[in-house]
Amino acid sequence: MSERTSGRARRLLLVDDEARILSSLRRALRREGYEVHTAESPDEALRALDAGSFDLILADYRMPGMTGVEFLARAAERWPDAVRILLTGWSEQVPRAALEAAGVRALLEKPWDPEALKRVIRDSVGP
Amino acid sequence: MSDGPPRVGIVVAAHDELTRAATVAALRRLGADVRIELAGSDDEALDRVREISADLLIRDHASAQRLGTLIEGLRPSDPPVVVIVPAGQDRLAVKAFREGAADCVTRSDDYDEVLPVVALEQVRRHRAARDRSRAERRLRDLEELNEHIIQNMNSALVVLDTEGRIAFCNPTAETILGVPAGELSGRPAWTLFPNTPRERVLFSRTLDEGVRYRGEETVITRPDGTLVPIGVSCAPLAGSEGQRLGAVAIFQDLSEVKELQQQVLQTEKMASIGQLAAGVAHEINNPMGFIHANLFQMTEYLGDLRRLWEHVEALQQAAADGKPDALRDAAEALEKLAREVDARFLIGDLENAVRESLEGSERIRHIVRDLREFSHQGGDDRELADLNQCLDSTANIVWSMMKHAAVLERDYGTIPPVLCYPMQLKQVFMNLLVNAYQAIRERGEDDRGEIRLRTRVEGDTAVVVVEDNGIGITSEQRDRIFDPFFTTKEVGVGTGLGLSTAFNIVRRHGGTIHVESRPGGGATFEVALPLRAPEPAA
Repeated sequence: MSERTSGRARRLLLVDDEARILSSLRRALRREGYEVHTAESPDEALRALDAGSFDLILADYRMPGMTGVEFLARAAERWPDAVRILLTGWSEQVPRAALEAAGVRALLEKPWDPEALKRVIRDSVGP
Repeated sequence: MSDGPPRVGIVVAAHDELTRAATVAALRRLGADVRIELAGSDDEALDRVREISADLLIRDHASAQRLGTLIEGLRPSDPPVVVIVPAGQDRLAVKAFREGAADCVTRSDDYDEVLPVVALEQVRRHRAARDRSRAERRLRDLEELNEHIIQNMNSALVVLDTEGRIAFCNPTAETILGVPAGELSGRPAWTLFPNTPRERVLFSRTLDEGVRYRGEETVITRPDGTLVPIGVSCAPLAGSEGQRLGAVAIFQDLSEVKELQQQVLQTEKMASIGQLAAGVAHEINNPMGFIHANLFQMTEYLGDLRRLWEHVEALQQAAADGKPDALRDAAEALEKLAREVDARFLIGDLENAVRESLEGSERIRHIVRDLREFSHQGGDDRELADLNQCLDSTANIVWSMMKHAAVLERDYGTIPPVLCYPMQLKQVFMNLLVNAYQAIRERGEDDRGEIRLRTRVEGDTAVVVVEDNGIGITSEQRDRIFDPFFTTKEVGVGTGLGLSTAFNIVRRHGGTIHVESRPGGGATFEVALPLRAPEPAA
């Protein structure tokens, strides 16, 4: 990961309109040493992005107001270096072209494998 | 044959030159409208006769051939033959008559006066006979054509007498009714509908009350018990003075049509199910996702708890042993581990994880229950169903795929149970809801869509309203919106069958469906169903 973020806890932003999903993600990442932030809507997440930088952003695909891909594209405008990961329950529905345009590094399917999730994040931003 | 006024054609076959000249001169007296053709031999004469469709053949007695041979060679349509006999040879005249001559004229002094009169009379007779036979032939042709049509038409034709017995039927009727040829005659028509009271059989109403039916759908029962859907048109049969003669019915086997309709219905259903599956999968995947993640985390927590318990056991052992140092060490180790695993948090979070997972599984349980309720269907029979419940269980399922795009408002009135095909009505509601959802999505994503479901009773109908604030439809679209295969959606999004299927189902229930909309102003679909469903005609 970039030099900019070394020396402090990596900041993650998790976005899903489903609070229980956020809760379980937070639970899984508790001992990984990250600074975990959550947002229950794309709007809330965009406000968090205005307030500070993040090393990794993980977003659900189907959310009110805009899709996860649209949100990640906007997040990339603000913090181009942040790794972007999409979580989706129905990956066939996600337009490939938009996925590439938004620079999404990984696509995780719900229900996800907790070990794989941790591995993807670790590989992306380090421990 | 020319189209002008019918000229009289006469062929003259005379060997004797004087006779020929006298004959032609005599015939000229008949006027310019008489066409006279001369022939040398009998064969030539016959050719001429047929060539000009002559009305008369005049032949003298001096021919080389026998008169009998000529007359035997004549066809029924050929003209009569008048024979010219030399004066004073009455014996020859008798012979000519015997051989088939229509008349004889003697070459006497008054020849040129008698011949035209005789000729005209023969022409008149011939023409009368010809006209009569032509009319007869035309009648016979018409009868044959009728018979041919009746015997070979693809529709069944049945004529009933005033008693309702089958007086006549064509082969197609026997095929459709599954009865061997000739066995239908005399059989009372209502026996074709063993499951319908006699007075309710459609033929009975035509016979008793003069009711006409057009394209009525009903089902007949074959002798072997199989059911055949048919489309019947039936009308009373009246005599020329208006007296009742019975009834005539024409019907078609609708088995293939029904099968095609079923296939169309199935195609539409599969397309809807695909969309539903996506929505439901998403709804189940969310709780499955966090339940799975929580269970995974809880296993880790259980490992910590086990280690804590092992330390508690060690502490108990040390206490039992009564060694103060060991007891203190064990207590310290336990405390250290508890700090390390954050035991207080762990137990609290374990409780949270269990509670949240239970909530999640409860949600899945609900989805499965909704699915079961939605897919609950009776057989092919109609049943009394709660329309609100049909609408609601459909909305529950469909809403899972649209809840990010729209809010759903429900305003249900009290509706008595309606005799209907519940699964078919659910398909109607589903199609209307999916349509509303797509109209909202096409409108854009800035503000949330709204779908309002309303039900109420109006007089003797139940009314179900599905209203959206989507893109709406133009008046041109509105005119075609219930046509099969009409779609405004991109290829692959709609089958173009959703609303036409809905229309057909509602019509089958004796109801109506209509839409009000303007572009940009959303759309309101209103389905009206009779509270007392009409009896299916039989």
